[in-house]
Amino acid sequence: MVAAPIKSALRITAVDDAAARLGLNAGMALADARAMYPHLKVAEADPHADALLLEAVADWCDRYTPLVGLDPPDGLMLDITGCAHLFGGEAALCRDLVHRLEAQGLRTRAAISDTVGCAWGIARHGKGGVIAPGDTLAALQPLPLAALRLAPETVAALAQMSLKTVADVLARPRAPLAARFGTDLVRRLDQALGRETESIQPRKPLPCYVAEQRFAEPIALEADVLGILERLAGQLAARLEQHGEGARFLEAVLFRVDGKVLRLSAATSRPVRDPALVRRLFADRLSGLGDEADPGFGFDLLRLSVVTAERLDVQQIGFGADDHGDDVARLVDRLGVRFGLASVRRFTTHDTHIPEYATTALPAHLVKEEATAPLLGQDSLAPARPLHLFAQPEPIEAIAEVPDGPPARFRWRRVMHEVAVAEGPERIAMEWWRDADGRTLTRDYFRVEDRDGARFWLYREGLFQREVTHPRWFLHGLFA
Amino acid sequence: MTVYAELAVTSNFSFLRGASHPEELVEQAKALGLAGLGIADRNSVAGVVRAHSAAKEIGLRLAVGARLVFADGTPDILAYPQDRAAWGRLCRLLTAGKRRAEKGDCILTREDLRAFQEGLNLIVLPAEIRAGPLAALLAQLREADPQAVWLGAGMLYRGDDNRRLARLAALAAQAKVPLLAVNDVLYHVPERRALQDVVSCIREHVTLDQVGRRLEAHAERHLKPAAEMARLFRGAPQAIAETERFLSRCRFSLDELAHNYPTELREGYATPQEALVALAEAGARTRYGETIPLKVRRALSHELKLIGELGYAPYFLTVHDIVRFARSRPQPILCQGRGSAANSVICYCLGITDVDPERIDLLFERFVSAERREPPDIDVDFEHERREEVIQHIYQRYSRERAGLAATVICYRGRSAVREVGKVFGLSDDTVGALAKTLWGWSKEGVAAEQARRVGLDPNDARLVQVLQLSQELSGFPRHLSQHVGGFVITDDRLDEIVPIENAAMEDRTVIEWDKDDLDQLKILKVDVLGLGMLSCLRRAFEFLERHYAAPYTIASLPPEDPAVYRMLSRADSIGVFQVESRAQMSMLPRMKPVQFYDLVIEVAIVRPGPIQGDMVHPYLRRRQNLEPVDYHSQELKDVLEKTLGVPLFQEQAMRIAIVAAGFTPSEADKLRRAMATFRRVGTIQYFRDKLIEGMVARGYPRDFAERCFRQIEGFGEYGFPESHAASFALLVYASAWIKCHYPDVFAAALLNSQPMGFYAPAQIVRDAQEHGVEVRPVDVSFSDWDSTLEPLDGEATATLHPRHAAMASDIRTTQALRLGLRQITGFREEDARAIERARGAGFDSIRDLWLRTQLPVAALERLAAADAFRSLGLDRREALWAVRGLRRTGDKDDLPLFAHAAMQEQEPDANLPPMLPGEQVVEDYRALHLSLKAHPLSFLRTELDALGITRHARLADIPSGRRVTVAGLVLVRQRPGSASGVIFMTIEDETGIANTIVWPSVFERFRPIVLGARLISVTGKLQNEAGVIHVVAERITDLTPLLRQLSEAGDELSSLANCDEVRRPISEFRLRPQPARSELRRLLREEPALAEELTAIASVMPKGRNFH
Repeated sequence: MVAAPIKSALRITAVDDAAARLGLNAGMALADARAMYPHLKVAEADPHADALLLEAVADWCDRYTPLVGLDPPDGLMLDITGCAHLFGGEAALCRDLVHRLEAQGLRTRAAISDTVGCAWGIARHGKGGVIAPGDTLAALQPLPLAALRLAPETVAALAQMSLKTVADVLARPRAPLAARFGTDLVRRLDQALGRETESIQPRKPLPCYVAEQRFAEPIALEADVLGILERLAGQLAARLEQHGEGARFLEAVLFRVDGKVLRLSAATSRPVRDPALVRRLFADRLSGLGDEADPGFGFDLLRLSVVTAERLDVQQIGFGADDHGDDVARLVDRLGVRFGLASVRRFTTHDTHIPEYATTALPAHLVKEEATAPLLGQDSLAPARPLHLFAQPEPIEAIAEVPDGPPARFRWRRVMHEVAVAEGPERIAMEWWRDADGRTLTRDYFRVEDRDGARFWLYREGLFQREVTHPRWFLHGLFA
Repeated sequence: MTVYAELAVTSNFSFLRGASHPEELVEQAKALGLAGLGIADRNSVAGVVRAHSAAKEIGLRLAVGARLVFADGTPDILAYPQDRAAWGRLCRLLTAGKRRAEKGDCILTREDLRAFQEGLNLIVLPAEIRAGPLAALLAQLREADPQAVWLGAGMLYRGDDNRRLARLAALAAQAKVPLLAVNDVLYHVPERRALQDVVSCIREHVTLDQVGRRLEAHAERHLKPAAEMARLFRGAPQAIAETERFLSRCRFSLDELAHNYPTELREGYATPQEALVALAEAGARTRYGETIPLKVRRALSHELKLIGELGYAPYFLTVHDIVRFARSRPQPILCQGRGSAANSVICYCLGITDVDPERIDLLFERFVSAERREPPDIDVDFEHERREEVIQHIYQRYSRERAGLAATVICYRGRSAVREVGKVFGLSDDTVGALAKTLWGWSKEGVAAEQARRVGLDPNDARLVQVLQLSQELSGFPRHLSQHVGGFVITDDRLDEIVPIENAAMEDRTVIEWDKDDLDQLKILKVDVLGLGMLSCLRRAFEFLERHYAAPYTIASLPPEDPAVYRMLSRADSIGVFQVESRAQMSMLPRMKPVQFYDLVIEVAIVRPGPIQGDMVHPYLRRRQNLEPVDYHSQELKDVLEKTLGVPLFQEQAMRIAIVAAGFTPSEADKLRRAMATFRRVGTIQYFRDKLIEGMVARGYPRDFAERCFRQIEGFGEYGFPESHAASFALLVYASAWIKCHYPDVFAAALLNSQPMGFYAPAQIVRDAQEHGVEVRPVDVSFSDWDSTLEPLDGEATATLHPRHAAMASDIRTTQALRLGLRQITGFREEDARAIERARGAGFDSIRDLWLRTQLPVAALERLAAADAFRSLGLDRREALWAVRGLRRTGDKDDLPLFAHAAMQEQEPDANLPPMLPGEQVVEDYRALHLSLKAHPLSFLRTELDALGITRHARLADIPSGRRVTVAGLVLVRQRPGSASGVIFMTIEDETGIANTIVWPSVFERFRPIVLGARLISVTGKLQNEAGVIHVVAERITDLTPLLRQLSEAGDELSSLANCDEVRRPISEFRLRPQPARSELRRLLREEPALAEELTAIASVMPKGRNFH
C-alpha cells in the first residue's frame, strides 16, 4: 500500500491486491486504515519514481512505434499507425505488448481503437483489446461516463441526474447537456467517437538545436568527420548565441551507408558554444571508441544536436586577474570525456566542526564554486586550521597541565619537541548522533610552535576526569 | 572562596534555544553553590515566574530580566531591572517590540532601548569584537547611566579565548565599563548538549546531518561552579568578582507584583470590602426575601470575614461586575459560575451562580484557604456564541492597558516530541508515526520492545533508542505561547508594566507572556471567561418559549424538582440533555433513577474515570437499590458521606474524611488532594496512606474500613470531580431536561441551531424529536430560515408519540411544528440563507425568480437543489438540479427575465431524465443534509434483512434476557471509555430505533476492520436486559455495507456517525494532562519534609532531567 500526504493528512494513494481485498482503497485516510488493520505495510508515495518508471516503460515501447505519448500518472499512448503489421497485426501487437509488460511485473491493460478517446476508455473502464473500426460506438455505449476523460465533478453532476453511462448521455439532446455540463462533455464524446480529431503528443522532446549534413559521397576519415562536426557546431553556435544559450549535452549521430547508426554523446560541465571545443570533445570520444567507430563503407549523414542547453550570457573578461575558472572547467571536461566525469574529483568544504570531515573530494562537475561560510562568531585573525591535515591523526606522547593546559613538550615520530608558544584549547566534541554508545571523546586542539619554529596542530583526546582519567594526545596537522 | 553568579542564562522559554527548564537551572545553580542566577530569555520574560518560585523555594538569589536581541545589528544586551519601575520599562520595551512584529517575534532597535533604558542594568555581549562600533555602543549606553553598563566576556573554548579576553578587557578599560564574566549558559548540565543540538535543528528546520556548524562545537555552555569559572578567568579575576556586585544592584523581585487587583469597583463605598458586604446583603434579600435563613446568614458572614482577611473583595467584585454586565444586556447573555469558589453562599447571593448552596454543602476552605493565600478560582461560562461580547466589555471597562488574555504555554507532548525529534534524525514520516505509537511504555529496559517489533521497528536500533530518549527529554518543553481559552488578567497597574504583551494569532486579541500557573504564583487576578454551547442552546430555548408559548423562563425560574423530568431521565430518555446524554450516562440513569436535584449532581460526578476506577459506582448503586446496608462507622463520617450513601464521590468528601476521621487539619487535607493529583501516575503515596489509615485506626475505625476508604479516595485522586463543578453542571442538566421533557419541539430547534455541540448529530436529534411527537418539516426555500424555526401546526397534530415514550403523553405541551433551517444543508453559507430570508416576501415562483431576486451564486442554488429544498415550487431534487444547472448558461442575471424566460425555457427539448427511486432520494438526503425525513435507509432493505433473520430494534424490549439475537443498523456511535478496559460500546440504528451493542476486546480484535470501517453492520450475540437497559453482547459482526449499494450507487458512502467517534481517533489513556508546576512538588516537600524519600524514589524511576507530569 502506498500513502502520501494530501491536504495535511496522510492518505492512501494506491493499494495492492491484498489490501484491496481487505476493502481498502485509494483516498482513505491512512489513520483510518491503520485503525482497522494495525499491521498494514505502507510505503511512502514517490511520484518522482513513478514518473521515472513510466518514462522507462515509454522508452521500452519505442520498440513498437516511435510515437509514444505519456498519459501520467500511469498511462501511455502509442500511435501504431502503420506499425501493427510488423508485429502480425493489431491484436498480436496488443497481446505481445501486454504479455511482455506483465512478464516484467507490471499490471497492464491495453486497448487499440480508431480514436484516442475510445482506446483510453476501453483500456481503463472496459475490458481492453482491439476495437474494430466501426465498433467504436457500440464499444463505448455501456462504459461509465468516467471513460470519457471527464472531470470527476462533471461525472458526479451527471450521476445526480442518473446519467451514468455513455449511452445515457448519447440518448439525450446535446444542447441542454452542453449548457449544463460544459462543452467539454460534448468535445470528449466527439473525440471518443472520432467526430473530432485528436493526436497523440509524442513524448521525446525534439532536440533544441539540430544541424545535419548529407553527403553524396560517403565520408570515412576521422578527420573529415570531425571537420564536419565542427562546421555543424559552428552553425549551431550562431543559433545558440542568438538565444543566449550554450550546450550542456550534445549528441552526434553518424549514419552509416549500410544502415548502422552510431551515436556519440558528450556532456559538458558548463554551457559551451565554441566549435573547436565541441570538436575536441568528439575527437576524444571517437578515439576512445576504437573498433566500434569503424566507418565501414562510410557515413552518408551526420547530425549534431544539442539535447540540453543552458543560459550562457556573454561575460566580460576581468582586467588583469586571471580567470582560471574557465581553464579548470575546460580541464575537467577534457579529463571527464576521457575518464568519465565521475572520476574527476575536486575538493570541497563540508559544513562540520570535525576537522577531518570538513573537506571531501567530490566529482568535479558537481562542485559549484561558492563562498565557504565563515565560522560563526570567529573573529580572530589567526589561520584556524593547518595547511596540511593528516588523514589519520598520529599518536604522540605529551606532557601537559591538567585539565586543559597546552603541552609543554611532546614526542612525535621519536623526536622530542619543546613547546615554545601555544594557543588554545579549541574544544571540539564529536557528533554524538553518529555514535550510539556515546564513547567518542571530546578533543582539545592546540596550535603550538616548538623551539625550532615548527608549528603543529595537536589535540588531547578526552576531557580530563569528565571523560577519561588519562587523556591521549594526537598530532593532527602541520602549519606551513 | 570565589563567589560567582551566572548572569547570562537562557532557559527553554527562549523557544528552541535553551535546553533546560528554569527550575532545573535554579536547582543546579543552588547545587553548585553559585551566589545567584540571572535568567534572561531571548526578548521574553515568559519563564521568569517559574524560576522565581523555584528560587524562592530553595533560597537562591535570582535576578530576572531579558536578553535583548536587536534587529539592527546591535550586539545582544542582557537587561536586568534595578527596581519595580525599571521592570515596568523593560516590559514596555518588550511590548513595543512584540506589538510591531508577527506573533511570537520581537523587533527591537537600539532606539527602543534608549527610550526605556532608565533603571536597567545592561550587560553587552558582543559576538565578535569590532572595536570601533563596540566602543561607540558602550559610550552611548554609559551616557544614560554610567553606573549601569557592563561588558560581558565568556571563555568558551574557541581556541582564541585568552586573546579575546585580553581584547575585551582592554576595550572595557578604555570605555570605563567593568568587565563581567559569563558562561552564556544554554543548559544546566553538559548532558543536555544533545537536546540543545536537537532543538537547534528543529529551529533551523534541518536534520542533524545537514546542520553543520550551526550547532555548538562542544558541551561547554552549562552552569559551572565558581571555582571553575575563576580558573577559566584567571586572566581577569575582576570579571568574576563583578558578578556579585552586579547581582546586588538588581533589587527587583517579582513578589512586588502580587495582589494587583483593580480597586475602582467600589460602588460608592469606601472600600471594596464594604461594597461587597452591601452587594451580598442586597443579593441575599433578592434570593431569600426579607428574612434570610439563619444558616445562610451565618455562612455568609463567615465567608465575608475570610474574604476580608485575605483581601479578595476586589476579586469577587470584578466577577460580579462581569456577570452583571452579561445579564443586563438588552438581550441578556446566559452565564453561570463554576470552579472552586463559585458555589459559595456569596456567589449565590451575588448572582454569579444559581446553585442554591443550601441544596449542597460545600467546604469553603477548599477554595479559599487562609494559609495558602492563593487567589480564589471562579470560572464563568457564557453562551459560546456571545462570549466575545463579554470579552470586549472587559477590554472596554478596564482598557487594554489593564486587561489581557493569559497565555497558555504549548508544550511538546509525547507525539509531537517524537515527531520533531524523528524529523531531526531524518527518519521517514512513516517510521516517525510508528514510533509515536510506541512512545508510552518505552523504557531502556525494553518493556516496549515487543510493542516496537509489532509496528515493525527494531528496538535495539541505537538510533531509535536515541530518538525516543531525546523525545522523552523534550516532552514537557515549552514550544510556543498561545492564548488561554478565556483566562482574563485584570490589574490595577498598567498591564504592560507588569508583563510584556504580544499579539495573538486572532485579530484584535493581545496576550500576555504568562500563563495561569504563573499568575497564580504571583497572585494576580484571573477570571476565566469561557464559552459553553449548552448555554447558547438554553438561551435559544428560552427565546422560543417566550415567543411561541408566552412562557418566560430563566435557569433560576424553571419549576424546581418537577417529577416529570425525573421520570423522563429515569427512562434514559436523555438525547441532547447536557452531560447525561452519553452512552455510559444513559445506561446509568435507569439504575440511578434520579428523583431529586442532588441525584443529578451525583449522576454527573459518578460516570467519570475516577469513581469508575475507584470502584465506587457499584457500591453506590447497590446501596441506592437497598441491596447493601450503608455503614458509616461513626456519626462524623455519616455527616460527610450520608449524601452519597457512604461512598466518597467528590474531592471535597475525601478531604472531609481526612479531617473528621483521620484528624488532618484543613490545610493538610488540601495537601492530600494536591498530592493525589501529582503523585498518582507514579504509584501510591505511602506517607499520606499511612497518615490517613493510622489516623483512622487511632480514632477507632476498623483497619480494613480505613484501607477501603483510602483506596477509594486514591482511586479518584487524579480525576476527582469537585462537588461544586458537579452542582453547576447538574443545574444545566435539570434545565435542559425540563425543556426537553415539556417542549421537545423547542428543545430540538434550540439544539439544532446551536450545532455543533454535544454528542449527537442532527439526524438523531430530529429523530428523537419525531419520536416525542414533534412534526418535523423539511428544509424548503419558501419556508426555511437559516435557523430552524417553529411553525404553528395546521389543525390536529399529525405526528404521534413513539410507544416508548407513551408515558410522557401528558407531560408534553408541544403545539408547534419544527421547520428545519437552511443551516442543515452541508456547506451552505449563512449569508446566502439570510439573502433568501430577506428576498422571500410572499414567496418565489420559480428557481429563476429566486435566483434573480437573491443574486445567489449558482453553487449555492445547487446545494439547495441537492437538499431537495424546492419542493414547494413543485420541483423535486433532480428537476431542481437540472433547472439550476440550466441557469448558468441560458442567460445572464442582467437579462430581462421576461425575454430570457421566453427565449429559453420553452425551446429546450425535454431531457427525459430517469426518475429517482425512493431509496436514492434518501441516500441523497443523507448526502446533502446528513438526515432524511422521508424514510430510514434501512426501511428499503427490510426484506433482505428479514431474510437474514434480523430482529427489528423496536422488538428487543420484548425479548427475554439471555436470548441470542441478530440486529442490524447504521453505525451511530462508537465509544471506548478509557475506564472500561478496552470495551467498545457501539450504537446502531434501524428504522425502528437504536440498539446498543457491547464489543469485548477479543471480539473487537477479530472484527476490527468491520467495527471501524463498516457503515452498516449486523451484530449477533446475547441480549442483556438489566432494568430496561438493553445491550447486545457481540459475538459475531458482519459488514452489510454492500447492501446499501442497492439503494443508490453512492449508498455505501452513506454515513450517520454522530459527533463523537472515540474509537477511530482514540482518546489515549496515557494522554498527558497539563503538567503541574514542578514547584508544586517543591512546595509539598517543604510543607511535608517526610515526603522527601518518596520523592527521590519517584524521581529515580523517571527519565533523567525530565519534568514531572
